Amino acid sequence: MKSVALATLAATLMILPALAQAQDVSGRLVLYTSQPNEDAQRTVDAFTALHPDVEVDWIRDGTTQVMARLEAEFAAGSPQPDVLLIADTVVMEGLETQGRLLAYPGADVSAYDPALMDPEGHYFSTKLITTGIVYNTAAPFVPESWADLLRPEAEGQIAMPSPLASGAATIHMVALTSHPDLGWEYYEGLAAQGTNPQGGNGGVYNAVAGGEQMFGMVVDFLPIRAIPDGAPVGFVFPSEGVSAVTEPVAILSTAQNVPAAQAFVDFLISPEGQQLAADMGYLPAHPAITPPAGFPPLDQIQLMDFDPAEALENADDYRLRFVGLFGG
Amino acid sequence: MTLAALVLFAGTLMMLPLGLLLRQGLMVDGLPSLAPLQDALQSRSVARALWNSLDSAAVSATLALVLGAGLALLVGLTDLRGKAVFTFLILIPMMIPPHVTAISWTQALGPSSPLLGAIGLAPPPGAPHPLYGRGGVIALLAVQHMPLVFLVVLAALRALPREMAEAARVSGAGTTRLMTRIILPLLMPSLLAAYALAFVSALGNFGIPALLGIPGRYTTLPVLIWQRLSSFGPSMLADVAVLSALMALVAVAVVLAQTWLAARSRAALIGPPQPPMQLHLGRVRPLVEGAVVALVLILLALPIAALVGTALVPTYGVRLSLQTLTLANFEQVLLRQSVTARAFANSTLAAGIAAGVLAGLGAALARVTAGPRGLQRRIGRALAMLAETAYAIPGIVISIAFILTFLRPLPLLGLSVYNTLWIIVLAYLAAFFAVALKPVSAACLQLDPALDEAARVAGAHWGLRMRRIFLPLVAPAAASGGMLVFLTAYNEITVSALLWSSGTETIGTVIFNYENGGYTTLAAAMATVTVAATVALMGLLDLLGRKLPPGVVPWRL
Repeated sequence: MKSVALATLAATLMILPALAQAQDVSGRLVLYTSQPNEDAQRTVDAFTALHPDVEVDWIRDGTTQVMARLEAEFAAGSPQPDVLLIADTVVMEGLETQGRLLAYPGADVSAYDPALMDPEGHYFSTKLITTGIVYNTAAPFVPESWADLLRPEAEGQIAMPSPLASGAATIHMVALTSHPDLGWEYYEGLAAQGTNPQGGNGGVYNAVAGGEQMFGMVVDFLPIRAIPDGAPVGFVFPSEGVSAVTEPVAILSTAQNVPAAQAFVDFLISPEGQQLAADMGYLPAHPAITPPAGFPPLDQIQLMDFDPAEALENADDYRLRFVGLFGG
Repeated sequence: MTLAALVLFAGTLMMLPLGLLLRQGLMVDGLPSLAPLQDALQSRSVARALWNSLDSAAVSATLALVLGAGLALLVGLTDLRGKAVFTFLILIPMMIPPHVTAISWTQALGPSSPLLGAIGLAPPPGAPHPLYGRGGVIALLAVQHMPLVFLVVLAALRALPREMAEAARVSGAGTTRLMTRIILPLLMPSLLAAYALAFVSALGNFGIPALLGIPGRYTTLPVLIWQRLSSFGPSMLADVAVLSALMALVAVAVVLAQTWLAARSRAALIGPPQPPMQLHLGRVRPLVEGAVVALVLILLALPIAALVGTALVPTYGVRLSLQTLTLANFEQVLLRQSVTARAFANSTLAAGIAAGVLAGLGAALARVTAGPRGLQRRIGRALAMLAETAYAIPGIVISIAFILTFLRPLPLLGLSVYNTLWIIVLAYLAAFFAVALKPVSAACLQLDPALDEAARVAGAHWGLRMRRIFLPLVAPAAASGGMLVFLTAYNEITVSALLWSSGTETIGTVIFNYENGGYTTLAAAMATVTVAATVALMGLLDLLGRKLPPGVVPWRL
């Protein structure tokens, strides 16, 4: 009898912390994200399975729309979301300098490449969306490096997203032009090839898949997802390395439900959350998680150096230089 | 009373949001200032975008006017066969969202075009796309807005009494003389209104210049606004506000010009809506009919074939063949995604409410503006101008202005409309009032005040005069205004872009989200379903139309 009571007590004591934690996070959590619909739904479902007392209200839209909505909400003095899962580190750096983000230094980021996380814990990269080269299977050659796009056979056949429209394209431009072997000469070379930057990544992918252009600079998951369906394209991680946007998660300084927001951050950077990203077809940022089919292992993908704070500071210079080369 | 309600409506839904937005940009050291506007005009990219906007709007509106008015004259005045079917079909291009139109035309005329490929005319891979740049932007804007012109002119033709035309015929006037001396002068206010509508619509269009202008390095103001929005800087709202102010100024100038010209060409008429005239085309009739069929085929079949073709393959870029054909995209959109049904319900509801309310408000405002009293008339004109400004400003800017205004709970009521369907309805009311107003105010300009005065002298009170004289005369125009609003709002994508939330998705945002997430084939399937649903809806309207007064449903002749 006594032993049963003791066992019960022991079991209760063991469960208690878990219970306390589950009780801590509850209530309404408002999430703004630019993940595609289906992925956002899966992320939210997996999170609420873990924390059933949290009710997640989420809004999914293009990065520009979400940011415009957020800026308008800032201006009206009542930002709605608790947590953002969106865009890239440069945007987050911008929000941080405006004092819009709440630091979460307690998050466990020990497994990650320090370059992917804000040292003060204002934002956390959740995946790697790299920019490489997509080519149409009818292309005259299969490119292996960024420099290959300057070959004469590629003249007039290159599609690229415009940094004026796409955050990934901005980061790509900063990374490539700071690369010792490429630099601004590389972008000058692209301009000399008659390259026309057009809109965002979707437009570039469609131009190459539709055969309007033979080569394109594009984010990895668009072609890698479509190839199994028979899309007439291939994707290359060029030898000089790739740039990456990391869809960081961050808590707003005006968040209403900080505990739930922190639990959401914990979930996304946990191995389970990273496995979910891999299951959805993205390259996980966590080195221990196996990348999905179609991707090389993480240690074979070479990421180019990139400093979000520096990129933010010089954003206007980069844009002006780009416009000078390619026109508005 | 009417006037007070109109002023309240325009004050809360247009003046306040636009004012709050402009405050973000046109304040220097706490004082309103025009200096930011001057600074903006100094910038080369702004000046060039302004010029491109004016250029594309003016040229495309001219093309839309020639095409749309020509077709309306054929349908409204001649013995062309199959008018009802033709009118029905010609309205369809307008119901496809502009960016979908742009995508389907790029697919139809690009290197991977199945149609051009089949006849060996497809451009070689890597060749610059024929639609990228100024020409393509203008051509597609003209196609997109031609049905607007067509509807406005057709409604006016219906209000045109036949007495004068018949008198001219009896006196021996030939067709040319009849057109140049009677019909066209009488139509002048409507033609001007149609031109202004096409101009302002093109000015505010985002989808077409975004997809065809950017790769062709032909940036217009809405695209520039979009680029400023995606720069995410803290100065973003201010930049956007300044550019919007610039667009508002252009819109105001266009309306002023239109009012001035219309006042000089005003021709008062008396007469109820009438069945169309039947000028005999004679031997050229088969030729004309052939040309009309060819036009419909090009304007309608080509893009829709491209759209359906994309919806039927597993992923974009795969050639359509018996082996690759799949219904998986339709299955996904129709059966697996609950958002589809919700979006259709939301869009139908929001566009329907907006259309009904605006048809009524449009008729009321048109009456005030066409009325005899000086002050009322001036206020009416100012409201019309405000409506035009709201319409010319790109939808995404309207949604920002609405967030600024309606994010917090409404004063006194304590309710918040943010994240509900109502904020989208309210935004539609503000954004599309000008569309409802155009046909009805043109019709009012043609009304002879003598009718109203005679009734007044005979002792008829205001309600009776409204019911027996004013409404029967303007009902077709008000209804075609409401219809235009419905069709514009049903597929719009930019006004609701920032105002939707889970549960209040609209058709346009769903298509955009698929496209933006990289699911081009799902977006094509959704757009195809939308076109089919719109046709079904028009069919329903057709059934209802049998009970309505003649002329209310445009293709019921």
